[in-house]
Amino acid sequence: MTSEEIKKIVTEKFPDKLKEAKILGFEPSFIVEKGTVLEVCRFVKESKELSFDLLSCMSGADYPDRFEMVYLLFSFSRKHKMSLKVQLPKDNPEVESATAVWKGADWYEREIAELLGIKFKNHPDLRPLLLPEDWNEGYPLRKDWTGKDFIKMPDVK
Amino acid sequence: MNQEISEIYTEEFFVNMGPQHPSTHGVLRLLLKMDGEVVLDMVPHVGYLHRSMEKIAENRTYYQYIPYTDRIDYVSAMFCNQAFCMAMEKLANVPVPERAEYIRIIMVELNRIASHLIWLGTFSLDLGAITPFLYCFREREKILDLFEMVCGQRMTFNYMRVGGVSRDITPEFVPMTKEFVNYFLPRVDEYEDILTQNPIFLSRTKGVGLLDQKTAIENGVTGPSLRGTGLKWDLRKDEPYSVYDKFNFDIPTGENSDVWDRYMVRIQEMRESAKIVQQALEKIPEGPIKTKTAAVFKPPAGEVYVRIEAPRGEMGFYIVSDGSPKPYRVKIRTGSFSNLTVLPIISRGWKIADLVAIFGSLDVVLPEVDR
Repeated sequence: MTSEEIKKIVTEKFPDKLKEAKILGFEPSFIVEKGTVLEVCRFVKESKELSFDLLSCMSGADYPDRFEMVYLLFSFSRKHKMSLKVQLPKDNPEVESATAVWKGADWYEREIAELLGIKFKNHPDLRPLLLPEDWNEGYPLRKDWTGKDFIKMPDVK
Repeated sequence: MNQEISEIYTEEFFVNMGPQHPSTHGVLRLLLKMDGEVVLDMVPHVGYLHRSMEKIAENRTYYQYIPYTDRIDYVSAMFCNQAFCMAMEKLANVPVPERAEYIRIIMVELNRIASHLIWLGTFSLDLGAITPFLYCFREREKILDLFEMVCGQRMTFNYMRVGGVSRDITPEFVPMTKEFVNYFLPRVDEYEDILTQNPIFLSRTKGVGLLDQKTAIENGVTGPSLRGTGLKWDLRKDEPYSVYDKFNFDIPTGENSDVWDRYMVRIQEMRESAKIVQQALEKIPEGPIKTKTAAVFKPPAGEVYVRIEAPRGEMGFYIVSDGSPKPYRVKIRTGSFSNLTVLPIISRGWKIADLVAIFGSLDVVLPEVDR
């Protein structure tokens, strides 16, 4: 299915809940409202025409005014792809866990929760994944993070 | 006497396997819940090799980060180089000369063979066969010599650049690689003679560690482990990047999705890779090896996700650029990370010796999981 057709199906199902975004290589791309993310995920996975069965990658990023979660999706049966984004507020970022839709989201979410400090509602087991057990120096992937051994490299022009 | 026997009872117990264990291929700790010799459940603990690769990326320029990508998966560093460079090229729309694409393909396919050889060697060692291990490292040595000839390094290459490769192949490289391929193809038959129909090997691998297709896709398993379940999916063929559409090769798949099938897929993949190298050496065109790029690479603001077929599955780079010389955010998606998540599911109910075989058949490299 082409990018235009996917876009049509998704926007028809969720009018006025989506905004367009741009991720090169994984078009079409949408910004989903925070409250409806699980609903959209479930729809794109279970709908027969779309059937996005693989959560190819999942990531988060810290921007000056918001956090952003990215879901990169792919369908083995239909051989097409799309991406979803969710914007979260700076204070108390929280989003529904996608593990209910794709089991593969489990470790990705554990990693993001640990490194970026985003909370996932209804995640089965949100233990830290990568950092040491006694880690208490905050969330390293946030832009304002500094650790005691962290040296900022000089700016390049 | 009778009283003593009645005092004997059974109970479940926990065993800690790793982090320092010869068959965890790196540092992985498995907390096993055992009933006698049978694995009831397990919890994998990772992170012993976490080097904060993604944070480092935000603090380096794009060019400075290329050597770091080598360390993501040091067994197949060419792939990390290629994926990162391809992401940058897509972001800034940099063309790659055809000769450079051919050189890249020769390099990554040789690297795929080298990576599968390490896997085959250690996997057979896990199952108690020592000879294949020695054979595999003998052949791998020759590949590393070829790499050394081209880029001066044997493991961490730092070979690829935005818009091409760092240096051209030397005149001796082509005949030597041809010679290697001709030497290597019969060697694969030799490995197969030792293992494929060996009764001990068969009883250790046939029907063991079944991974069905649905579980695999749900958990994001990719690469040879997914192809072992019978799904014919290979990014090189189905979503051709670089110049892969110009080569003739097959995608081997399994039927029963057990350990033996995953073994067989990788064995055949080595042959296919050798075939690709052979064709690339025949067809390689003359021309420049690199597009000229600015000394300080500043891609336009935007986001990109590029994925390639690495030996352990899909390897992808998600890069956010804000137009400055340093990336704003880099997320590295690796095959091993997702492949490891199915280990608890497929090893439940098997004996601890089978667990070693099952884990070996997934071909997990730990630095790639922890990054």
